[in-house]
Amino acid sequence: MSAQRRTDLLARYPALKRLLLSRAVQPVPMLATLAFFALAVLAGLFGTPAGSRNFGIIFVWIVWWALLILLLVPLTGRLWCAICPIPAPGEWLQRRGIIRRTGGKLRTLGWRWPRRLKNMWLQNFGFLGIAIFSTVILTRPRVSAWVLLGLVLLGVALSLLYEKRVFCKYVCPVGGFIGLYSMLAPLELRVRDPQVCASHTSKDCVTGNEHGYGCPWLIYPGGLRRNIDCGLCTECLKTCPRDNITLNLRPAGSDLLAAQEGRLDEAYKGFIMLGCALLYSVVLLGPWGWLKDWANLERLPYWALYALGFLAFNLAILPGLFWLAAAIAHRLSSGKSSLRRLFVDYSYALVPFGLAAWIAFSLGFVLINGSYALAVLSDPFGWGWDLFGTAGVPWTPLWPDLIPFLQVGVLMPGLLFAVWIAYQVARRHSDTLPQAGRAMLPVTGFLLAVTLVFLRLYLG
Amino acid sequence: MQRHERLALIALGLILIGLPLATLGYQYVLRPALAPTRVIDIRAAAPENGGFQPASVQVATGETVTLRFYASDVTHGVAIGPGLGIDLGQIEPGHVAEVTVTFSEAGTYTYYCNTWCSDGHWRMRGVIEVRDPDNPAVLPTVPPDPIIEALLTEGVDVDAIPGDEVAPVPGLGPDVRLSAERGESLLSELTIPSELQEAAWRFTHTPSEGLTLLAEANPGWAIADMADAVAALWVADTSARTLADAISLYEKNCAACHGQTGNGDGPAADTTAEAPIAFADAAHMFGRRGDVLYAKTRRGGMGTGMPNFGTVFTREETLALVDYLWTLAFGAAGSP
Repeated sequence: MSAQRRTDLLARYPALKRLLLSRAVQPVPMLATLAFFALAVLAGLFGTPAGSRNFGIIFVWIVWWALLILLLVPLTGRLWCAICPIPAPGEWLQRRGIIRRTGGKLRTLGWRWPRRLKNMWLQNFGFLGIAIFSTVILTRPRVSAWVLLGLVLLGVALSLLYEKRVFCKYVCPVGGFIGLYSMLAPLELRVRDPQVCASHTSKDCVTGNEHGYGCPWLIYPGGLRRNIDCGLCTECLKTCPRDNITLNLRPAGSDLLAAQEGRLDEAYKGFIMLGCALLYSVVLLGPWGWLKDWANLERLPYWALYALGFLAFNLAILPGLFWLAAAIAHRLSSGKSSLRRLFVDYSYALVPFGLAAWIAFSLGFVLINGSYALAVLSDPFGWGWDLFGTAGVPWTPLWPDLIPFLQVGVLMPGLLFAVWIAYQVARRHSDTLPQAGRAMLPVTGFLLAVTLVFLRLYLG
Repeated sequence: MQRHERLALIALGLILIGLPLATLGYQYVLRPALAPTRVIDIRAAAPENGGFQPASVQVATGETVTLRFYASDVTHGVAIGPGLGIDLGQIEPGHVAEVTVTFSEAGTYTYYCNTWCSDGHWRMRGVIEVRDPDNPAVLPTVPPDPIIEALLTEGVDVDAIPGDEVAPVPGLGPDVRLSAERGESLLSELTIPSELQEAAWRFTHTPSEGLTLLAEANPGWAIADMADAVAALWVADTSARTLADAISLYEKNCAACHGQTGNGDGPAADTTAEAPIAFADAAHMFGRRGDVLYAKTRRGGMGTGMPNFGTVFTREETLALVDYLWTLAFGAAGSP
């Protein structure tokens, strides 16, 4: 993707630049989301155990989730990470302030994050850990509240022990998949000219200055090539003395073709996300009630079986099938790249496909259950309040007959995008176009097979 | 910047301290204080999830209280008895229903679930103890029930399992279908022994015993015709008004086990220790006594899974219910 295909939003909209240079631009929305978060935790701990009438369930797992997966991630990448309330207390404790740029060192022991954990594996396993309990976490307000509180406490602890936002970058199970899918977003924070950064010696964006902190996400913006690494906090925009940082509009998915940067941990994030979307669709949208019972921890042995199957599918079966496809592609391609390289690089085709699958899955339950939000808004604890006169609004599924078609309408562009990515990867690893055309076929077959499973689930 | 920081700190304080204080303080302190009556919050959950919490509340005579029920897991139906006529209807999970009531008489009342909610549904009950403030140590007890006392005096084993105590009826097959309506048209042609003409006698005897008397007084008549006549006599005292109330009680409290039409095949029939009685089984009901049915309903069936309803139904309601049970077996007089 060439720089010419990007639109420098800050050059075009000076008012936006002025807004982003304000130190309040991040903490104010963080305070707002923290208020919602606090209400969600309070409702979870003290409100009705009925999830459908509890703010902690409806506004976290339906309203927030819908905003995140349907809008924020596809359109803005990691913007949620910039305003997420979970790391806020830890970060503010580190900085000893909320808005102002405090002087002196951060209040933290400043330990370095272990090198072997500087990847997505913790986030992968953390997400899987939550995923196997998800039917419980997503429906039982008290459990949900404790999980949310636990994440905040973990964020605070890591902030006090380690440098900056290691929680967000290496631990947060949500941040992991937001990062992966942020590579699709048509929005990016980048330097205007890497040469300016290279020649600039003080590196204020890393060390910080009186206008802002050094990058909390531990990156050097001059070398930033993919959204996955950037939390969009805009500290670098504030600290850069050369006015070399900007926000760009760009073609969606630009990061996916950033050559030679594919990593196994990210590949597995792609498998896990696709696997979870598939399994959730089977468990929650499928007609198999017994599977729901197993997932819902009604009997421990059955749940253990479910969890084992869940983990095996995500960590071995799905990647194993993809490995098979990559191995065939390896035989069909030039052979100049290793099988492992092909396996990892082709896995980035799962990014648009996985996001489409998640959007499609989310449409299923958001449209069906979204109307609960109106009642819960007036009675967040299920205590019989009626703050806005909407407590009595009945549950009203939205367009239930239309949902399967919406799901197909979302999944198919995701499939086409994925096939296009697979073709681009094949071209990179092939000597000729016909060879690339043949090499992409196994992965395309894998994608089509998974698509058929989804279609079977959506359309019955 | 300092001003912004102060504002942000205030906002943070409001979120972390003000929000919990405001919400919890309003619900648990301010709201009850502002309410015109004392509010008692009661969580309604299936017995497997804790049942009613609290399971017991204390009220003074003459005190007006608001009982607010929260359904926390599945749909429940909440009613309060006996004799208060309070039925809050079904409460869906997460919903709230409340009733404001003044207890004028000291005694023990029961709030109970009348919508099948779980295998342990029948255990979902709570107690309201209403005490006289001038004599709070004394909680009036329920006076002995004369019908049950009479049965005990007579030596009837009220707790016997129904299948063991009911003798087969000679001349009536197991699948017999009786018609009270048809029997009603025959009554004028038959000689009706004086005992059978007395409601009190019929209440304390089985239709089978009635059939024996009728057969002795009317030799030569077909046993099926006389059985229909007996059926007509056993539903003769049922009034349309009490029947409507009894049907409502039956459907909410009995149908889950005994079945909507009394076939003993309700959705919870498999969960009881003994198979629920099929009231629609005329042959079976021919061997049943009204007073024993009444006692079973009020006391519960020991070891069968049949709950006691004496703490939630009035005696009149129970009698009306027994009348309705006869109509399940024999059909109502004047109906097809």
